[in-house]
Amino acid sequence: MNLRQISLDVIDLKDERFRFSYHFDLDRLLLSVKEIGLVNPPVVINRESRFILVTGWKRFFTCLELSLTPLPVFILEQDDDFKAFLFSLYENLTHRDFDLLEKAEILRLLKGFIKDEKQLVKDYLPLLGIPATLPYLDLYVKISQLESRWKKVIYEKKMSLASVELLTEFDVLERELLLPLILPLSQNKQKQILDDLIQISRKEEISLKKILATQEIQPVLKSEKLTPLQKAEKIHILLRKERYPSLSAWKESFDASLKRACLSKEVTVESSSFFENGEFSVSFSLRDKEEFSKRLAKLEKLISDEALISLFKRLPDG
Amino acid sequence: MKLSSHCSRDFLMDRDLFYPKKVFITKDSESLPLTRRILRNLSHLPVEWIQNPQDLIGDIKISRDPVGEGKKHLLITLQKGGFVKPCPCTPRYIGCNYFIINADLNCPLDCSYCILQLYLDNPLITIHANNEKLWNHLDDFLNKSKGRFLRIGTGELGDSLALDHITERSKEFISYFSARSHALFELKTKTVNIKNILGLKPPGNAVIAWSLNSHQMAQMEEMGTPDIHKRLEAARLVSRAGFRVAFHFDPIIHYQGWEEEYAEVIDDMMMCIDPKKIAWISLGSLRFPPALKSVIQKRFPQTKIIYEEFIKGKDGKLRYPKPLRLWLYERIVESLKKAGGRNVPIYFCMESRDVWQEILKIKTRGKKEVERLLTLPLGES
Repeated sequence: MNLRQISLDVIDLKDERFRFSYHFDLDRLLLSVKEIGLVNPPVVINRESRFILVTGWKRFFTCLELSLTPLPVFILEQDDDFKAFLFSLYENLTHRDFDLLEKAEILRLLKGFIKDEKQLVKDYLPLLGIPATLPYLDLYVKISQLESRWKKVIYEKKMSLASVELLTEFDVLERELLLPLILPLSQNKQKQILDDLIQISRKEEISLKKILATQEIQPVLKSEKLTPLQKAEKIHILLRKERYPSLSAWKESFDASLKRACLSKEVTVESSSFFENGEFSVSFSLRDKEEFSKRLAKLEKLISDEALISLFKRLPDG
Repeated sequence: MKLSSHCSRDFLMDRDLFYPKKVFITKDSESLPLTRRILRNLSHLPVEWIQNPQDLIGDIKISRDPVGEGKKHLLITLQKGGFVKPCPCTPRYIGCNYFIINADLNCPLDCSYCILQLYLDNPLITIHANNEKLWNHLDDFLNKSKGRFLRIGTGELGDSLALDHITERSKEFISYFSARSHALFELKTKTVNIKNILGLKPPGNAVIAWSLNSHQMAQMEEMGTPDIHKRLEAARLVSRAGFRVAFHFDPIIHYQGWEEEYAEVIDDMMMCIDPKKIAWISLGSLRFPPALKSVIQKRFPQTKIIYEEFIKGKDGKLRYPKPLRLWLYERIVESLKKAGGRNVPIYFCMESRDVWQEILKIKTRGKKEVERLLTLPLGES
C-alpha cells in the first residue's frame, strides 16, 4: 500500500460498496485528531479514476469536519472487490467489536459476494460471534434492510437483538406506527410490547393498525396531556391486559380483596406467583414487644374477616 | 362413531408409512444385524456410508429448518451412551418413576408442540443399531431392580412404532420383556403401525399406548399423524388381539370448544375398548420451555395454541395457570368416569401434588407411590 496525500473532495462518498459502519460518535476522535493529528490514515481504492473508501469512514468524517485537506490515505492495490472488502473486515476485526447493525451490514455485503449461503454461514457467522445457521443469516440481512430511522433508534437505544428480531416481523407501515411506542421505553418493555402486539395480532388475526385503533388505545395515543413516555407506558399496560385477560383479572381481583380487607400498612399478604403453588404469605414488621402484640391482635381479628378469607379460595374470581 | 369406516383389511396403507429420502450409516454399524435388516426393508432407498455423523448433523443444523430437514433422513449409528435412563420428568412436580429406553431418537411425525424440536441436539431420525449393548444394558438394569415392579418404555424421545416397519423393534422388545415379568413394558405411539404387533403372542406385561387429542387439535397440531378414529381403531385391534392398551391425553389443549371435543374422543375411546383392558390413562396439559415458543412460532406460523395465557411453572416451563388446569382435568376426568372409565387408573404427567389431590383425591407422597399405583396390572396378569 502506498501512502499519498489526496484532496477530500476526490473521494466518492456515494460509493459505499465496502461500508458497514453508519452510526458513530465523532467527539472523541475529533479531540484526538485536533490534539495529535491523524495517526492511522484511511484506506482507499482506485476504481475508474475515482477513490473509494475501503476502511476509515469515521476517520474520514472527522477530517471532513476539521477540513483537514489534503488527507493522508493508503492506496490499496487490489482489483478484486471481495478481497478489498475482506481487507476492510479483517482490519476492523483486529481492534474492535462490531455492533448489531455493523454485523448486519457486513453480512448483507458478504451475501453479495458469496453465492453459497451455507459456506458464508460456516465461514463468517462464527467470526462475528453469531450462531452459524441460515436463520441467523436471514435475520441479520433483514436487519440491514430496516429503515434508516429505525437503525438510528436501534443504535441510540441499544435495542436488544431479541427486540430487533421482533421488529422485523412487522412491515414498513406498521413499523412507522410502532416508532412512538418503542422509542421512549426501556429495553425490557420494548421487547414486551413488541411480543404482546405480535401475539395479539396472531391470536385474534387482526392487524397492528386495528389493535392500535381500539377505543382503549386511541385516546391514549391522541392525548395532548400525556408525555411520549407516559403514552408508551399506558399502552404497554393496556396491551398486557389484552394479552393476559384472565391473569390480569385475577390479579386485580386479588388486589381488590386485599384492599377490602383494610390491612394496615405494616401487614402484607402475598400470593405465590399466579397462585401456582396455592400458598399465601403474611408478613408484618415490628419494633418492640408492644407492636408485636398489636400486630398479632390485628391478625387474630382478621381471621374472621370475610374479605380476607375470600383470598384463599381455590379459584380466584374473575 | 365413525370407526367402522376404518375397519377394512387395508386399514394400514403403505402410503401412511414413513420412508426417509436417504439413509446414512456410520461405518462402525454397517455390519450389525439390525442395520442389515433395515437395509433389507429400505432396499429401494439411496444409502451413504459415513465416517462421522457430526459432519452430517452439523450440516443439517445450519439449514433454515433443521428439525424439518432432520425428519427427511435416517441415520443408523451406535449408541455410545446408556440405553436405559430414568424419565427426566420435570423438577418440582410429581413424577411417575418411569424408565426410558433410548433405542431410537426423533420422530417422523411433526407435532407443533413437540419438545424434541428443542430437546435433541441431533435433528436426524436416528436408529441405534448396537442391539447387543441394548440387551446388556437392559439385563443389568432389570437385574438391579428385581423385587420391584417398574414401568419402562421407548416412546419418550421418539414414537415407539413410527419406524417399526423399518426396524421391527416391537417384535424384539415384546419377546424380550415377555420373559421379564416384573417390568411393565410400554410402546407409545400416535401411529397405526401395528402390523408387527398383531403377529405377536401378547404377554401380560406389554402395554401398547396411544397418544390422543381432540380431533381438531390432532388435525391442526399433529402433522403427519393418523386421525383419532384411525388411532382408536388400531387400539381396538391390538386390544382384541389380547394386549393391554393405554392412552395418553397429553397435551390437553385449551381452546374454544375443547370440552365437548375431548368428551367426544373419550366416548369413542370407551366405546371402542373394554375399560378392563386399559392399563392406564395419563393426563397432562400443554406445557413447554419458554425457548420452544419461538421455534413453534417459526415452524408453525398458523398455530394459535402458544398464544393462550401461560404462567411460568415451578419448573420454569410455561403452563396454563393452575385454575385453568384444574378446570381442564376436572372435566376430562368427569368425562372418563361418565363414559365407563371409573376403575381405569388415571395419573398426571408432570403435575403438582395439590392437583393430584384436588382432582384424583390421591394424596401422593411421590413417584414411588405413583409407580405402585400404575404397576398394579402386573399382579393381575
